[in-house]
Amino acid sequence: MPEREDRLVRCFASVFPALTPEEIRTASAESIEAWDSLAAVTLVAVVEQEFGVEIDPLDLPELSSFGAFRTYLGLCREVGPGRDVNTNQ
Amino acid sequence: MNLIDALEILKQPIPEPASDRGIYLVCGFTPLHLKTFLAAHMRLCFPGDRVEIRTGLYGDLAGNLERVEPSDSLVVCVVVEWADLDPRLGIRGLGGWRSTDIPDIVESARRQSVRLTHLIKHLAESVPVCVSPPTLPLPPLFTTRGAQAHNAECQLREVVASLATSLSAARRVRLLNLQRLDELSPPGQRLDAKADITSGFPYRLEHASRLAELLAGLVQDSPPKKGLITDLDDTLWAGILGEVGVEGIAWDMAGHAHIHGLYQQFLASLASAGVLLAAASKNDPALVEQALSRSDILLSKDTFFPLEANWGAKSESVRRILETWNIAPGDVVFVDDSPMEVAEVRAVFPQVECIVFPKGDYQAIWDLLKRLRDCFGKGIVSSEDELRQRSIRTASTLKSSFQERGLGAEDFLRNVEATVTFCLGAEARDNRAFELINKTNQFNLNGRRFSESEWLSFLQDPAAFVLTAFYEDKYGPLGKIAVIVGKIGGRKLYVKSWVMSCRAFSRRIEHQCLKYLFEKLDAEEIVFDYEATPRNGPLRDFFAELLGGPPTPALSVRKADVSAKAPALFHRIVEVTNA
Repeated sequence: MPEREDRLVRCFASVFPALTPEEIRTASAESIEAWDSLAAVTLVAVVEQEFGVEIDPLDLPELSSFGAFRTYLGLCREVGPGRDVNTNQ
Repeated sequence: MNLIDALEILKQPIPEPASDRGIYLVCGFTPLHLKTFLAAHMRLCFPGDRVEIRTGLYGDLAGNLERVEPSDSLVVCVVVEWADLDPRLGIRGLGGWRSTDIPDIVESARRQSVRLTHLIKHLAESVPVCVSPPTLPLPPLFTTRGAQAHNAECQLREVVASLATSLSAARRVRLLNLQRLDELSPPGQRLDAKADITSGFPYRLEHASRLAELLAGLVQDSPPKKGLITDLDDTLWAGILGEVGVEGIAWDMAGHAHIHGLYQQFLASLASAGVLLAAASKNDPALVEQALSRSDILLSKDTFFPLEANWGAKSESVRRILETWNIAPGDVVFVDDSPMEVAEVRAVFPQVECIVFPKGDYQAIWDLLKRLRDCFGKGIVSSEDELRQRSIRTASTLKSSFQERGLGAEDFLRNVEATVTFCLGAEARDNRAFELINKTNQFNLNGRRFSESEWLSFLQDPAAFVLTAFYEDKYGPLGKIAVIVGKIGGRKLYVKSWVMSCRAFSRRIEHQCLKYLFEKLDAEEIVFDYEATPRNGPLRDFFAELLGGPPTPALSVRKADVSAKAPALFHRIVEVTNA
């Protein structure tokens, strides 16, 4: 699980390069000015590709913090790179 | 490349000083990740440049094309998709897919295609434009089953084929080869319907990355290699000549050697496009002469120059070939079936692109030919390309002949009946001048290259001049071999770039160029934007001789110095009047 969290931190760091790993772990749309709609779309795409999951657009409003992503991914079964399998069950 | 990799590449600092490079990404969809991937691939292609990518408005490809403002160092990338030809050919619009709508969709796409072709061609008059035709599948709006092509589908593909045909022939348009994209990005795995509907970005990330990679390659437009050195036994033909004899070697199906025939055919194609070909073989030279004279061989003996058949090290043969060609190892490809020979040449010339010929492997020969196409491919084949091999052979033969007769350079130049044709100004704004500046290394004032945008922008300056020199003597033409580019400031000239083909060395053309410039433009002084590079030794030596010491940046030459120090010049001068 820590390895998955590190990968999630890397995803956030690629989209928010100014944040430290510590800041990323507490990051949210409210606290990060750079977290605009473009960053949100990019972040979702990066996470989908990195974890091989497909995120339902209806879930996007809830994915507004690092913690929310971590929880969301905890419910997903990772299938590796690719986007063919919706595992958000 | 994954999206996270692309973002991390973009986070890396750019080493200073960096040049600015502008890309205008013109598309009708939300550019989103395509922009990110394009920026990352551009960074890999141009690691020392600060790349800025601008984009336009959603859903208005034609309008975006109209809004591009050409400038220096700008390259435009146009990504056309079906929805840009008619919104009903995308999945975001709900304009109606009734069977009765289809003829109107086709007609509308045809009209829009004509408009886009016109806009792109107009833009390409000012800046280079890289164009991707539609890469996504057509939506399932047609009334036949998917396995059966509908007539309207065929008409739409004809519309796009017509757009591509027209653009591929336009100057400064670089059309993306969809066959190459198909190899890298399977057509059935390109559309991301969810992303298209929810965010207006229609591509899966893998496809976006591949498309961006190819577009960046089009923008980069790497200069082609200049020469290919090939082995003979088990490479140009199947069999060991010394063992099976001239009639025993083969390159046909009957001899189970068709891949060697394909290779010969490909080399003949390269030679016809101006690529220098030479052979380096551990062989008996007399036998090689006979083998290359066989009537059924697919390329003539004369296609190869020099022909190095001996028992020495391959790297020594390569060295002599490079000396004769007078080009750098980095401009050359070496092909040999022996991994050991390839390793030996690579060890001595690490810059040479060394390839093991895949004898007996049919699929690998296909890949080899594709790789060679990438090494030598160029947008335009010029008349100078056809002259290159012949002029090198002539120069080499003459040199040997004069040496044998104990005659010196002065005698040679006096007797060669040389004519230099100068062209100054607007008529000189041709592709050959631009090409020569961007590929010449040795006699090159500063090694700087022009982008097409910079070139066009520079020429628009009323003070700018371009002088080109065409050389011919009694042994044949060398073609357009020298270019001087600069600006006129009263009786002072400021030369920004000066290049001369290595084939034209030792003919005193450089002296004639200076003399002509001083006289024709009534100048008293020429200031050169000189800069030493690792490879411009010949130009450095020329200035050192003229100035009596090593050249320095912004060096200046006065008319009186040139008159006093120029050697005897025997050229007949012809001027081409500018329009």
